[in-house]
Amino acid sequence: MSDNKQIVADIDHSLYDFKDIENEKDFYRMEEGLTKETVLKVSEEKNDPEWMRDFRLECLKLYNEIEMPNWGPSIEGLDMDKISSYVRHKSDMKGKWEDVPEDIKNTFEKLGIPQAERESLAGVGAQYDSELVYHNVKDEVAAQGVIYTDLESALRSEYADMIKSHFMKLVPPTDHKFAALHGAVWSGGSFVYVPKNVKVEIPLQSYFRLNAAGAGQFEHTLIIVDEGADLHFIEGCSAPKYNVANLHAGCVELYVAKNARLRYSTIENWSKNMYNLNTKRALVEENGIMEWVSGSFGSHTSYLYPMTILKGNGSKMEFTGITFAGKGQNLDTGAKVVHQGERTSSVINTKSISKDGGIGTYRSSVTIQSTAKKAKASVSCDSLMLDSISRADTIPGMDIRTNDADVGHEAKIGRISDEAIFYLMSRGISEEDAKAMIVSGFANPVSKELPLEYAVEMNNLIKLEMSGNG
Amino acid sequence: MSEQSLLQVKDLSVSIDNELPILNNINLDIKQGETHVLMGPNGAGKSTLGFSLMGNPHYCVTGGQIIFDGQDITDISADKRAKAGMFLSFQNPYEVPGISMGSFIRNAYHAQTGAPVKLLQFQKSLKAAMELLSMDESYADRDLNVGFSGGEKKKAEILQLLMMNPKFAILDETDSGLDVDAVRTVSKGIEEYQKKKDGALLIITHSTKILESLHVDYTHVLVKGRIVHTGDGTLVDEINKNGFERFIKED
Amino acid sequence: MSKDLNMKVNVLPVTTYNFLHVNDGRLEIKDIELQKIVSSKAGIPSGVTLKEGVSFDEAGEVFRANKDRILALKEEMVSPNCETAKRDESQPIRTGMGADVDKLFLENGGTCDVYTVEENAKVAEPIVLRQDLEDGFTGIGSQVIHAKKGSEVTVVMAYSSESSASGFLGVSTRLLAEENATINLVKVQLLGNGYVHFDDIGGACLKGGKINMTTLELGGKEAFNGAYINLSEKEAALSSNLGYLSRDDHSLDMNYVADQRGKKTEASMQFKGVLMGTAKKTLRDTLDFKTGSSGSVGDEQEDALLLSENVVNRTMPVILCQEEDVEGRHGATIGQLGEDLLFYMQTRGIDEEEAKRIMIKARLESVARLIPDEEIKQLAIYYIQQIV
Repeated sequence: MSDNKQIVADIDHSLYDFKDIENEKDFYRMEEGLTKETVLKVSEEKNDPEWMRDFRLECLKLYNEIEMPNWGPSIEGLDMDKISSYVRHKSDMKGKWEDVPEDIKNTFEKLGIPQAERESLAGVGAQYDSELVYHNVKDEVAAQGVIYTDLESALRSEYADMIKSHFMKLVPPTDHKFAALHGAVWSGGSFVYVPKNVKVEIPLQSYFRLNAAGAGQFEHTLIIVDEGADLHFIEGCSAPKYNVANLHAGCVELYVAKNARLRYSTIENWSKNMYNLNTKRALVEENGIMEWVSGSFGSHTSYLYPMTILKGNGSKMEFTGITFAGKGQNLDTGAKVVHQGERTSSVINTKSISKDGGIGTYRSSVTIQSTAKKAKASVSCDSLMLDSISRADTIPGMDIRTNDADVGHEAKIGRISDEAIFYLMSRGISEEDAKAMIVSGFANPVSKELPLEYAVEMNNLIKLEMSGNG
Repeated sequence: MSEQSLLQVKDLSVSIDNELPILNNINLDIKQGETHVLMGPNGAGKSTLGFSLMGNPHYCVTGGQIIFDGQDITDISADKRAKAGMFLSFQNPYEVPGISMGSFIRNAYHAQTGAPVKLLQFQKSLKAAMELLSMDESYADRDLNVGFSGGEKKKAEILQLLMMNPKFAILDETDSGLDVDAVRTVSKGIEEYQKKKDGALLIITHSTKILESLHVDYTHVLVKGRIVHTGDGTLVDEINKNGFERFIKED
Repeated sequence: MSKDLNMKVNVLPVTTYNFLHVNDGRLEIKDIELQKIVSSKAGIPSGVTLKEGVSFDEAGEVFRANKDRILALKEEMVSPNCETAKRDESQPIRTGMGADVDKLFLENGGTCDVYTVEENAKVAEPIVLRQDLEDGFTGIGSQVIHAKKGSEVTVVMAYSSESSASGFLGVSTRLLAEENATINLVKVQLLGNGYVHFDDIGGACLKGGKINMTTLELGGKEAFNGAYINLSEKEAALSSNLGYLSRDDHSLDMNYVADQRGKKTEASMQFKGVLMGTAKKTLRDTLDFKTGSSGSVGDEQEDALLLSENVVNRTMPVILCQEEDVEGRHGATIGQLGEDLLFYMQTRGIDEEEAKRIMIKARLESVARLIPDEEIKQLAIYYIQQIV
């Protein structure tokens, strides 16, 4: 058994927690703290159009005005004066893998990104600290008219107006303090536009790596799936562990037009010194479909509740999520949905696992407005407690304003039954493996929604967490 | 037997959510006092026909007409059909927590007749009907169908049939899942209904147990949403022996 | 002496999104003069002693004396995110509505009737606290029910007035069920359409102690109802059945918490209700499995029937858990009458309106049938029939 642990621990390090030796002269790093000067510097670095510079300053003002949230996990350990909001390598974004700087390339090679691109992706974007370092779309996908690029170049392209009319309109900077922060210092991220009736057969992926210590990552992802189009977008995140706090305050805005479908999958494995205060939101028009698949394994502290606004009649959303809170983690995750259109439907299905003193909180809201006649909403959240020093809390809220709706809610909390472990052990399986097996089974409804290689990655993460080396 | 039709189904087609057609061009003519049997393999649409005749809003009539007692009822709601004299015994009766069977039947009886219910008389006839069905008196005070066994639920449906006294009743798989004694009891209830009311029946079944003590006038075979054959009472025995194979081939 | 009431009540044990407006409720009344409820002089059954007019503070002594047992924790707790327990720490026993109710009683010289049930006394006859209030009554009253070891007692509280009456009635009830003692608390509220009402309950069960609550909230313009029950020791149990009806422009704000600390405790909380007109309802119900509560189970179920287009139904079910070996469950069904049920009813000739009436009655009467006092049961059933 001790051998097994050793191997698992090795896998752990080789997988995510390696630190690249950053040669300081190759990197530009902004001084820590958040002032008007730092915001203007980011804006200058990014060669923003004027409206964007003004927008950043407005956001900074809001950031200073808005209070910290009065709910959720503590973020006392996060000191903005010790976070550098902008770090980039002194080279431009590349369209060819060979041209990516050697040190960064090594990092992504270790994470298996180029291999995944060759094998199963329609396009890849890779962000390292604050900037995209690589972006590529397969020719046949580009030929369909699909745009997949970094947001900065898109701002200077024919799509500039489209971005201006959508950027932070769904998540306004007034939404909460960290949305305002994001607006002030955002950098990197992707812009995707799928034209009418185009079905992208294989997924696009963005991978985010925050390598610098004491830094923040504030990427912005804007995806517009036009009428009748179809897209699967995958997002992966990781970072090596440092002893100082890192901050991730990204923002994802998704527009799903009439009859369109978007699936957005995330496997998040930020290091356990990360404050992950991410905001994701989708607006769905008539008969559109939004599907979220979300696996949260990393971070020290997370606030993550992807929100869907079902605006169009007959629009649908499905959220499938898993959260694994291990030692030292306080992961507050869930989903929000607002039903506006008639015959809208939402299904939220989550699993959370708490272990080794981790705090896992499932938090959600289901709002059914009076216009949402014949709406259907169902929530099912299961929590699994693996010991008695951890916490599993379930805090779902519902606000229903029409009688012509059908709302069902189910929450369960419990543990792995001794009988189940005994049964597996009687067939020669070790207790540890039996537990891991049962936990994987518990997570199965989520992993079966992921493409195979991600399902495998998720199962590896579960095994790591179960062995206590996560 | 009167020559006047009680229920006429003319070219009835039915679908769910305007999508898949489940029933196609169904024609039926049922006269007072007649007993019709509807048989067919699983998934043929038998229960759908029962629900459609009774006006379940899940099922959408896409063509044709249902005439009951001279009135076009194709578009009226189920309660109005019940008031007009129709009854459907459910295959899976709904559980109604919080309302006792006795008061439910009283409510339903009142709703149908509109006249005030004479309590004593009502209690007396309820008791008699329950006795006939070998139901323990205590069931009257239990929440309707809640915690009832399969057999008890079916008896409760037949009890309602006896108390409502409709002109026409559809019995959907009333015998399924019952033991021999329970089938006998339920059959007794059905005979009593016919005797009392000269009522017409459409019995949906795939077994013959329940038909043993009843005179069957017509047998219809439903396959894939169409009535592919209509015969007399002897058809029941034939199907029982040989199954539906020859009708499926015909199709 | 008239004053303004501005109370923050029914605070959720952990705060969440502000936009849901469920973190707390507000009880605000301008310019009100508070009287004391005259305690009903119905007979006190044998085995029970009554001390009338004890100061609110002094009446809390029995809880303070047992504080170590009531709040015992086996091990160090990790707090849930943003818990609100601190604001109620001053209370001798934490209540569902919280510290502002205690403050109201303390500041207004509110007094308390203390009922003590002798050890092992099984009191068959219920203690009936009946208040039929006048139009314009504004007052507060409180009681402590202390059931000593092995005893059992039933307390029925019934509040009514003419249906057109207005006023204010605030009640605080604190409960202590010692080892193997059982307290059955029945509450029926049939106040008039202009009444503001609150009913605040705090209780604790020691080893094998049980609190059973049956509650009907049917009247009043604005009603608040909160209960915080500590299941402090092994095999302590809470069973709560609440039926409510809120109609016209009325509002109902509830906060129920089962604080499970002992081993093998059991909590069951059932809420069945009907909303009509432009009524607003907020229900917070929390199961809190604290460290050491191994072998405990908890179940909360809500069934809300919404009968008009303009109702507002807020539901906030919470499960907090820091113990591996527990089973917690929550379920909610919210909506109008199911289509299947409606169709079934229609096939029996019952039209939609009648079906609604039947279902309202069914829901509320299923709770009313649990009332042990025949007269009050009939009163409640009559009230329900009048409405539907």
